[in-house]
Amino acid sequence: MAIELSLRLKKEEQLQVIGMHCATCATTVRKAITSISGVEDAEVNLASGQARVVLTSGKLKDIVKSIRKAGYDVATGTVTFFIDLRPEEADNIRTRLEEMEGVISASVSVTGFVRIDYNPFDTSSTTLEEELKRMGYRITRNEEVKQFHNNKELRILLVKLGLATVFTIFTFIFRDLPIAALLSLPVITYSASGFHKGAIRALRNHSANMDTLVSSSSLILWFFSVYYLLLNHLSPSPSYFFDASSMLVTFILLGRSLESYLKSRTSNEISAMLVPRALKLSDGAEIVVNSADLKVGDIVLVRTGERIPADGVVEEGEGEVDESLLTGESKPVKKNVGQPVLAGSLLVGGRLKVYVTRPSDRAYIAQVVRTVREAQAARLPIQEFVDKVASIFVPVVMTASLLTFLTWYFILHSGFLLSLLTAVSVLAAACPCALGLATPMAVLSTINRAARKGIVLRRGEVLQELSQVKTIVFDKTGTLTQGLLSVVNVKELIPGSLELAAAAEEGSIHPVARALSTLRKSSHKISDFQEFPGEGVYAKIDGHEVVVGKRAFVQANSEGELPSEGSVFFAVDGKAAGSVTLEDKLRPDAPETLDFLRQMGLRIVVATGDNTPIHLDGVQVVTGLTPEEKVEIVKKLRSEGKVAFVGDGVNDAPAMAEANVGIAISSGTEIAKGAGDVVIPDRLSSLVELFHMSRMALGKIRQNLAWAFGYNIVLLPLAAGLLYPNLWLPPQYSALAMSMSSVIVSIWSIL
Amino acid sequence: MMAEDPVCGMSVNEQTTLKTMYKGKVYYFCSAACKSAFQKDPETYIREGPKGMPH
Repeated sequence: MAIELSLRLKKEEQLQVIGMHCATCATTVRKAITSISGVEDAEVNLASGQARVVLTSGKLKDIVKSIRKAGYDVATGTVTFFIDLRPEEADNIRTRLEEMEGVISASVSVTGFVRIDYNPFDTSSTTLEEELKRMGYRITRNEEVKQFHNNKELRILLVKLGLATVFTIFTFIFRDLPIAALLSLPVITYSASGFHKGAIRALRNHSANMDTLVSSSSLILWFFSVYYLLLNHLSPSPSYFFDASSMLVTFILLGRSLESYLKSRTSNEISAMLVPRALKLSDGAEIVVNSADLKVGDIVLVRTGERIPADGVVEEGEGEVDESLLTGESKPVKKNVGQPVLAGSLLVGGRLKVYVTRPSDRAYIAQVVRTVREAQAARLPIQEFVDKVASIFVPVVMTASLLTFLTWYFILHSGFLLSLLTAVSVLAAACPCALGLATPMAVLSTINRAARKGIVLRRGEVLQELSQVKTIVFDKTGTLTQGLLSVVNVKELIPGSLELAAAAEEGSIHPVARALSTLRKSSHKISDFQEFPGEGVYAKIDGHEVVVGKRAFVQANSEGELPSEGSVFFAVDGKAAGSVTLEDKLRPDAPETLDFLRQMGLRIVVATGDNTPIHLDGVQVVTGLTPEEKVEIVKKLRSEGKVAFVGDGVNDAPAMAEANVGIAISSGTEIAKGAGDVVIPDRLSSLVELFHMSRMALGKIRQNLAWAFGYNIVLLPLAAGLLYPNLWLPPQYSALAMSMSSVIVSIWSIL
Repeated sequence: MMAEDPVCGMSVNEQTTLKTMYKGKVYYFCSAACKSAFQKDPETYIREGPKGMPH
């Protein structure tokens, strides 16, 4: 709980810091916290791992970021759910959430996905949900419900649109007659109800949105017409605007239905990868079950043309499987008994019985869907500026509308009617949602497009960073090379020592160790084993002390001269014993990929832990690095521009975290484990696709923004009657143009 | 099990991956900075004992 101190603005926050194991850590964390402006004091307790922070104006978000940057972590709670919102509200809601007690950071996507990181000492997920409900939003917790909800939203919109169209046509035919008032009534009440509700909600939250503009412009026209009708004693007149009012609502509904369709199509695109039903074999009978209910050990039957419902192993049969959804590789792969298959891949030919090895919610594809969904809520730096504009946009338009009225009425003396119509037209023409949609729609569709090629973006923000990257640092083993080392030369100074070295490497999963351990011929008694990351291993084999690893490591622990050549060295009982030379083959697509990347203007650096040099044209190679030295290299390169690090995500986690963008080559089964902002399939060429897509996304965003801004700049003066009477947009056509503007942005992003 | 960082003298958990072996003896560190300081000049630290955090 935050306690308010003597001064009202001062508050105390408690945080649980993870990873402090010595007194310096506590000092470092304390320094990290107090370096944030607005923090008055901080106390860090090493034993309990808790930090007490006294804040005046500092943000929890910055403190947590600073602690994480210092290399520690903070225990946070995370809650995700869906809410119903207008796309242009997303940033406003995010800001409001981040102002709430105990909220560290929040992200809100235009599709309504909300993710909140909070400090569990201060608040809870229920409190946060309550707060949002109080602001007037409906909360849906489950994804399936959301899909249903999305379709329901579209259905309701279509019903409203259909009804509005019919009544608008009749209103239009009888526009000069008093009956038009009744004919337009269903449109202005039922069909437009969503706009009125949204406007009221915005008003309650002291803001204004798209709905405010639609609701007020349609109501102004309608009530003015009613007033005129009464003034005219219910006689026919051409000055009623019931038709304009209902046309305005209809056009906006049309645009909104299209937008909703595109949005739900885009956001469901990824969950469509999940296979809902499975054919389970139970006591020889085939029963249809929900894939979510499959358990480890179940046997499912997959026939030609069907997608595999769960991760598993082929139990019986054989077939060709298209794994393009997971790896981006379009050539089908042959699967026989005993081979692993992944949920979401398509059986192109054959018949398989699959033994389920993972429950479906932990399947690789389910991880992809979850990750991608979270990445969709990304906020690109480019968005900051747009949000600033969007937040003042509606008030500015309303002021402009009022000024339009005043100018026409008082300065140009054009009469009440024209003044009112131009003012309403300005309200109807303004389109904040094209602005709101411009960035998120492009990000959303790029993330989806990448996912279909097997590229998983964990943070959507990297799209912008990728397009600014100057240098790519590659790990070598397993990244540029196939990671299959083979022994090409052995120098043994002490007979029998190679066998001991091979045995010592048995306990390590390092690629070098794996290659060396293949040389082992018989079994040995291992009584002690220790691994020194980046250096080597120590083991006691059959009573001998064996050290295997890099030259410097082995030299530091032995006497005598080590061989001059070799990739791995070893010593037995403190005496230099020999070396082994290993060779690794480049991936076949490596030279081509590097060429492409260089043509894109990127500088390429290869940073490798081993000592075997490789020769690649125009590439800077640094060998013999420890994991810490790799971090240093990335740090140094960062001072010259943004850096991406490509590695396997396990051995290079620290360097990957230091880089602006960490790219991990996936092992194909687990996303959550390794580091990296982006996970690419086991093909280097997908890097080129990734960079290409990031540049394209940024291009789309710029075009969308140019369109959205340009549109408003051109149409608002026209609606205000700048070129009246030669060229003027009456309110209903302003509304049509405005609806189409957001539809165009949505379509352009998906293309 | 706890061990002493030969560079800064802090007590560190032996579970850490920040460790190295020198002349057959394992040394544990509280940070990458301590480890690299030790590796640059192991003899001095072994002979003269901890000197405090490297800068």
